[in-house]
Amino acid sequence: MTLSNEIYQALEAIVGKRNISRNLGVRESYRNVPAQSSAHYGPSEHWTPLPQAVVLPGNTEEVQGVIRICNKYGIEFKASTTFWSTMGYIGGDFAIQMDTRRMKSVTIDQKNMTAIIEPFAIGATVQAEAMKYGLNLNIPGVGCSSSTLANFSSWAAFGPNSISMGAGSENMLGVEWVLPSGEVMRTGSWGAGDGWFCGEGPGPSQRGLLRGIFGAAGTFGVCTKMAVRLHPWPGPKVLPTYGTVPAYKANLGDNFKCYTLCFPNWEAWARSTQYFYECDVLYTGHRQFNMFGRDLKAFMLKIITNPDAQLGDLPKLMEDPYLQEQNKSMKLEYQVIIAGITERDMAYKEAAVDYILKETGGWKNEMMLEKDMHDFALLYLTRLGHKNLNYVMCGAYEGTFGLTGNVWKAIEVAEEAAGMKKHWEQTYTHIAATGGDSSMGGVSSIGGGGSTGWEFFTNFDAYDKESVRGTAKFVDGNQQMHNKYAFGPDFCRWNSDVRHMDGYSYTQEEHNEMFSKAPQPWVFAYQYKIREAINPNNLCGTYVRTLDPSTLEKA
Amino acid sequence: MALKDYRPMMERCSNCAGCKFIPFDKVQSLRFAENCPSIGYYNFMTYSARGRFQLSQSLLDGRAEMDETVTDLIHSCTSCGYCDIGCKVTRYNLDVLDHNIEQKAYAVENGKILPGQKPIMDNLAKENSMIPGTKKANRMDWAEGLNMKDLLKEQGEVAFFAGCKYSYTPKLQEVARAAVKLLQGAGVELGTLGAADNCCTGRAKQMGFFQEFEKGANNNIKAFKAAGVKTIVTPCSDCYHSFKRQYAKLGLDVKVLHVVEYIDQLIQEGKLTFTKEVPMTVTYHDPCHLGRLGEDYTPWEGKEKKIFNQIHTWEPRKPRYNGAYGIYDAPRNILKAIPGVKLIEMERIREYSWCCGAGANCQDSNPEFSAWTAGERVTEANATGADVLVTACPWCKDNFDNAVGEDGKTITVLDIIDLVQQAL
Amino acid sequence: MASIKKELVGIVGEQNVIDSPEVLESYSKDQSFATPMMPVMVVKPENAAQVQELVKWANQTKTPLVPVSSAAPHFKGDTVPSVPEAVIVDLSGMNKILSINRQQRMAIVEPGVTYEQLLPALAKEGMTLSVPLTPKANKSVVTSVLEIEPRLNVLHQFNYTEPIRCTEVTYGDGNQIYTGEAGNAPKDLKKQWDLAKWQVHPNGPQMTDMLRMVLQAQGSMGIVTWASLKCELLPTIKKMFLAPAKKSTDLEAFVYKVIWSRFGDKIFMMNRAYLATLLGETREKIAGLKAELPNWVAAVGVSGDIMLPEMKVEGQSKDLEDIAQLTGVPLATSVPGVVGADLNEKVLNPSGATYWKQTAKGAFQDIFFITTLDKTSKFISLMYELAVEAGYPSEDIGVYIQPQHMGTSVHLEFNLPYDAANAVEVKRVKALYEMASREMSKLGAYYARPYGIWCNIQLNKDAQSYVLLQRMKNIFDPNNIMNTGKLTLH
Repeated sequence: MTLSNEIYQALEAIVGKRNISRNLGVRESYRNVPAQSSAHYGPSEHWTPLPQAVVLPGNTEEVQGVIRICNKYGIEFKASTTFWSTMGYIGGDFAIQMDTRRMKSVTIDQKNMTAIIEPFAIGATVQAEAMKYGLNLNIPGVGCSSSTLANFSSWAAFGPNSISMGAGSENMLGVEWVLPSGEVMRTGSWGAGDGWFCGEGPGPSQRGLLRGIFGAAGTFGVCTKMAVRLHPWPGPKVLPTYGTVPAYKANLGDNFKCYTLCFPNWEAWARSTQYFYECDVLYTGHRQFNMFGRDLKAFMLKIITNPDAQLGDLPKLMEDPYLQEQNKSMKLEYQVIIAGITERDMAYKEAAVDYILKETGGWKNEMMLEKDMHDFALLYLTRLGHKNLNYVMCGAYEGTFGLTGNVWKAIEVAEEAAGMKKHWEQTYTHIAATGGDSSMGGVSSIGGGGSTGWEFFTNFDAYDKESVRGTAKFVDGNQQMHNKYAFGPDFCRWNSDVRHMDGYSYTQEEHNEMFSKAPQPWVFAYQYKIREAINPNNLCGTYVRTLDPSTLEKA
Repeated sequence: MALKDYRPMMERCSNCAGCKFIPFDKVQSLRFAENCPSIGYYNFMTYSARGRFQLSQSLLDGRAEMDETVTDLIHSCTSCGYCDIGCKVTRYNLDVLDHNIEQKAYAVENGKILPGQKPIMDNLAKENSMIPGTKKANRMDWAEGLNMKDLLKEQGEVAFFAGCKYSYTPKLQEVARAAVKLLQGAGVELGTLGAADNCCTGRAKQMGFFQEFEKGANNNIKAFKAAGVKTIVTPCSDCYHSFKRQYAKLGLDVKVLHVVEYIDQLIQEGKLTFTKEVPMTVTYHDPCHLGRLGEDYTPWEGKEKKIFNQIHTWEPRKPRYNGAYGIYDAPRNILKAIPGVKLIEMERIREYSWCCGAGANCQDSNPEFSAWTAGERVTEANATGADVLVTACPWCKDNFDNAVGEDGKTITVLDIIDLVQQAL
Repeated sequence: MASIKKELVGIVGEQNVIDSPEVLESYSKDQSFATPMMPVMVVKPENAAQVQELVKWANQTKTPLVPVSSAAPHFKGDTVPSVPEAVIVDLSGMNKILSINRQQRMAIVEPGVTYEQLLPALAKEGMTLSVPLTPKANKSVVTSVLEIEPRLNVLHQFNYTEPIRCTEVTYGDGNQIYTGEAGNAPKDLKKQWDLAKWQVHPNGPQMTDMLRMVLQAQGSMGIVTWASLKCELLPTIKKMFLAPAKKSTDLEAFVYKVIWSRFGDKIFMMNRAYLATLLGETREKIAGLKAELPNWVAAVGVSGDIMLPEMKVEGQSKDLEDIAQLTGVPLATSVPGVVGADLNEKVLNPSGATYWKQTAKGAFQDIFFITTLDKTSKFISLMYELAVEAGYPSEDIGVYIQPQHMGTSVHLEFNLPYDAANAVEVKRVKALYEMASREMSKLGAYYARPYGIWCNIQLNKDAQSYVLLQRMKNIFDPNNIMNTGKLTLH
């Protein structure tokens, strides 16, 4: 089935000739190969389906107009912002792709610490605008090059700052949403035109229909505007970034410090996070650079902070005894930033960090205290602009294992997971041999602490199909370990039950089969009912897990 | 390399958006965060470097074809090279600009060019100039009376190369003349190639016309060698990049200096002093081909090697052109040295400068896109509050001049040599 | 009726079904202006299985159910049936504390657990729970958190819905699930604990926040039979600073700055009438305090617990003084009429046998909504104007401003005491309540918790939300048996 001229012209009338294309070459660039940038679905070599047309709406009314046409003609649609993840791409053949690039505004309410943003306002631009007013936002671990609105409304959105700022869903205030039915929903206080400040109610919160622990990744329509909560930023209005590319650094003043805190064992590691959960001292807390792997991290840090260095320098660097010692020192570590509002506040926070280290037998890594390293790490974690370092080694990566939730449980299995990965690295060549443990993630994935969120960075080559396929087998192996501990799906496969490996959406029958076996199937049956209520023509793919309630009633 | 040889890069691109924005660490505002003029103007993903990677795969796999839209798309790129720099902020193994230009060459090889490109290439073939309507016979008119050596007739170590834009544009000819006089005044003996002074053809390469580029380049290299030239000085950033990076690949082994480098050197050596005060606030535009694309060339031949199972490296070590060592400080030193001049930087500067829009002859082949790009830059310059927008490239100056006056853009545009003249 | 009783006895047992006229009457009305309506029965389930049975029965028989967890008195009309022949589901007997976990800082409680019961139990473990201002002693903690009563600890309110995390809920259609992360594991708390899962994460369990269906819902979507709660550490040092002012606007810059700085563990503003009513134990004392107290007071609490408490409290205390100086407000540990430490204790602890708001005149009507701090002054001015029109004494109007959700909005509350035995006062306050509720809405007041007449006011302003609310209702309570008539346009 192809898009008729009539439908195309109807869409063109809404967005304007310049903002729609059905040229094959253009449409082809709106396909994704999950191995290249999957986000928990893959690795897979297949391309997602080819859209019938690509549409660039410029405002909510245009989005609504497009969706109404889709409903009228039964056309599937999906909207995306930066198109990084496979989630944003269509899942069927008779579908159009919406690209929300034209919608990118940011407005700051300084007093009430809020930003009102559109879809293409990426973390970097929202943060830059907020900093002018002494404010900051939670930039999720995926990095500042991704859409704040998309993260907060439609995916997970926890990151280095979540311990002090909360995760995406905690930072959502009023939201404007074009439902798949074509209706415009404005949540909370905005619905009645009272302002953007409250995203809940009136009565039960309708935002709860559209976003749970994850968002619906487009299956529940298009979020077109959002008010997000901002947080204090006691730093300069503009990041004073200096240094030679790519080793950008920033000195933010005496009231900012970035440390790599190291621990003698996992128990001490977990105890330290427990302390941090309870004392409101951290601005940022993230195990970031371990993504390079236990064997390589200190050396990789030296490479990315040296404008003249390259990956090929690794073997030589690894002969350096000082770096070897530093790498060993940071075997079990994470990075923190403390930011003092005042001198006294800073003194307290420094003292608290020292106290925690003393109580847990931990220490600050020496190499990361050197000015260049310190300023690099501080800028890195503040702006989170180097997301692409996920790919630096091989060109592709997947987050695997996925030890989330209770940090005390996570540490119990961390070495087993690391050992499993190391064994694979040593036995096969599919994945980069980075030393087993390559877990990366937030000290807390929720505001105020209490829940951690790690993924193991598994690096492979998207061009080398053996590497891609071998990585898939590795993930299968991980899943066995996950099953042993009832951890649910491996991080790499979190989305494998919402999109087929060939890029196409699931059928209802397939979803029924999967979710009827869930521990609490009515969770999925309710999602089915919600989808019926707001997406009656089922037009946006299958990123929401649904179970036909009639199957339960029959049972 | 042919387009198909870029396949590994195409598949290793991770769609991080680095090619579309200035380095994220440098973002100061929403307004001036983006940095690819092509996707900035056209909006579709295909226009970005990432999109071009996807398009190339489709073309090679036979899924898409080079129809009019695709041809237009391929050539709607100023080859400014920012995408390459943006990518290399975090990645070490993608040569994004080379791919974009190779994609254009692929189109050209298949006869897919833009209507506006034909007169440019026709003029090059006929008149050795890439400015339609200009004649070879008039090329050296601008240099009359400047007493530069004719290097066809006598040997000389330092060749002054004005380039097409300075040679043929009346208001810019004065700037070229001023540059020559300035250098001569500092005791530099200059020569020109005279009748053999022909277009550097660097823009032909930017447009994907590789054969025409190589033909022109090789002829020029022969002429420089025959004249015994050891140093080429040029006021044109495009020509600068052509000689320094592209000609070097073809065997040109001379020192290449932009006039700003020479002036900076003279100031450092105390051979040039400014006597007049020039009270103005200025902002400086880094031309792409002087800045991020102005690094030294290092010859290399090697192959990919994987370490630690899958980590990409090369054997031997491959030079990494990431804009780190482009020419940014020389012009700024000059501005600092001029009494009364106060420099206010724009947000997008140095290796992440926004393009003027004139690259790859887009002024002629994609005039609206080119004008929009220039307009964006003038808006950014206006936002600094500066009186003057200064640059060191005639193409940039010309494109900015055309953009000023539209929609409230009122800044004065000067070539840096103009400003230097005012201070002497 | 006899058959209804028999069926209900079959579900909850004879001792838990009550139909005595006195008891039924006590549930037929509350202290608000809600129209009284007699229920037909009161049932007191003992466990979640019985609750589910009750809901299934209600679906079969189309019987309205009204869940109630706190003991009387009630003040907002949500526990009064809106339709005849309703059955009250009184959950106050389900009062077990199921778990307290210090490592995770979590507690799990049944709906009948009160603040009076929970706080001492948590204290034994070195913990406490964020509280709303001086809650009713017999207030159900679960109801308090489900209805998102404004909490004092604005700076720990990362989630708007803190401190509630996961729940066990029976929706109006009779299905029972766990919400939040608990919904992704077997439906058995002990089994989850064996897997080291402690019901910490409130969102989900999947793409829908199942918890949000029952928040601020006045029991109209389902019945919660346990809730997990995020606890705080019990402070070892506590201080409270007070900033007096003539006008509320004089305090705004100070409050905004303190919130931005993230100093302190609580912050709120009150006018003299509200503060006097809170502190005065008798009418006479209240009158005396009104004469003594400043017009307005901002109160900031500072506390330390396990992490270098002295250093923290000392540092923040001095920093607060600096902020006060910067924003032009005086700051001290006491002001005429009140000592900060006493106020701190007052607000953190449950009220006495008589709920404190009843002290002034016996009855009261609150008007509260959500707005932003910078807009509060216009609402306050409006209230005083309307009070004049209604003939209500201005000096009796209590105002409480509670920043929430880390400072992005505030709960603004007007407290209007009156003598319920005085017909003139009743008429006046009712008129003021109705008029002010409407006028505040026109000015932009957001009734996030739309009790009573606010329901019509708010839902009439927001047609799309109402449409979606109806759809939610159709999903989670298709037979409309859960607190029928609430959250509906009349």
